[in-house]
Amino acid sequence: MSLSALLSEYGDLYLRALLNTWRLTALCFAGAFAIGVAITVLRVCPVKPLRVFGDFFVQVFRNIPGAALLILLVYALPRLRVLLSYEMCVIVASVLIPSAFCSEHLMSGMNTISPGEIEAARALGLTFTQLIGRIVIPQALRSTVLPMTSLVVGTMLTTALGSQVPLRPNQLELTGAVNYINSRAVGGILAFAISAALYVATALVIGWVGGRIDRKVRILR
Amino acid sequence: MTQIQSRDVPVIELRHVDKHYGDLHVLKDISLSVGKGEVVVIIGPSGSGKSTLCRTVNRLETIDSGEILIEGVPLPQDGRQLAALRSRIGMVFQSFNLFSHMTVLDNMILAPTGVLKLNRKAAKDEAMALLDRVGVADQAHKLPAQLSGGQQQRAAIARALAMHPRAMLFDEPTSALDPEMIGEVLNVMTELAADGMTMLIVTHEMNFARRVASRVIFMDGGSIVEENTPEAFFTQPRSQRALDFLQSIRN
Repeated sequence: MSLSALLSEYGDLYLRALLNTWRLTALCFAGAFAIGVAITVLRVCPVKPLRVFGDFFVQVFRNIPGAALLILLVYALPRLRVLLSYEMCVIVASVLIPSAFCSEHLMSGMNTISPGEIEAARALGLTFTQLIGRIVIPQALRSTVLPMTSLVVGTMLTTALGSQVPLRPNQLELTGAVNYINSRAVGGILAFAISAALYVATALVIGWVGGRIDRKVRILR
Repeated sequence: MTQIQSRDVPVIELRHVDKHYGDLHVLKDISLSVGKGEVVVIIGPSGSGKSTLCRTVNRLETIDSGEILIEGVPLPQDGRQLAALRSRIGMVFQSFNLFSHMTVLDNMILAPTGVLKLNRKAAKDEAMALLDRVGVADQAHKLPAQLSGGQQQRAAIARALAMHPRAMLFDEPTSALDPEMIGEVLNVMTELAADGMTMLIVTHEMNFARRVASRVIFMDGGSIVEENTPEAFFTQPRSQRALDFLQSIRN
């Protein structure tokens, strides 16, 4: 099929798939970010079992392939009488894996904080919660905007897991849309190229926005 | 009766404090007290344990044995009681340690609002008054990195004062400063001393020590070698080690 034929026939599908990819990316990154921050707090808290749990969580989800996690969610969870929709399985996998990387970025961001500032906060009588909430996390976040930007892109690519489960046509994301088209017509490489271009364009926008935010919030030292 | 007693209780008291870093015995049987309104200056060669001593008072450094009492009450081990106690002891560091992601004003009001639960308006008014007192009110809305070292250190002193501390610890407050900025920080400290603030100061500024100290403590090798009035210490120290130290810095 030519490009014009592909776009005239499947243009709407691509558009919907692009919007679905954006929606999944935003949703999953938000979830990954929230969990990543929470796990990071556990990893530095004074209670050892919580620190161990936090480290364990990160080791598990940083080191499991997305497809393997998806298989576990789709086939193993029902045995535990937890039945998630296919889309929800994709979302859960695309939250958990990036959340582990989010936590790793924050841990490295914490290393940029001057130990003297931590001591000053203690000397002023701040509690652990205040120290974390007002000094540590804000500084760690502001010094990790660029890796977090990459993580948004990484999360977007992880949502391609949606192509591995049977979603309804209106739920398809960019990779799933290609599968859908190629199972019905001979879209060939071109069908992939359209999705790839849309991924790249989105990544460029994400990178540009991330760079702007980084310049704005970066901490002068 | 109780009032007389409380006047007699030292603000800071260390009893037979020992501390090791591995095999290194950094504090050896240190006993020391700082009464209300006293300015005690600790001097000594680097590595003598004077900074470590200063940092044990609010438990930024733990001790192996001995006792530390603040206004007669033993230092809590950790948790909220320790945080509450720290909030009553101001500390000024060699490297200023202003929070780099906040404006000077936000640095000032963080602990008063978060720890003392002052409302923002009251904390802000007081912060501005304190910044004015140390001469950096015009820098309130800047970030620490935009200030000179001397301005940062004066702001850091103001930040500690905003907690209404019972005593102030100074850990080599001028050692990281360019020479032309040392005077402005020492002036602020001199004024504080004149206002009756209880102060424990680790410093290499001998003229300042001589002018402001109520007592001088000379440390070497983790021990207090000599405790003396500033006049006597700088003119005729009792110990040979103090004499050697004073001669070495005069040359």
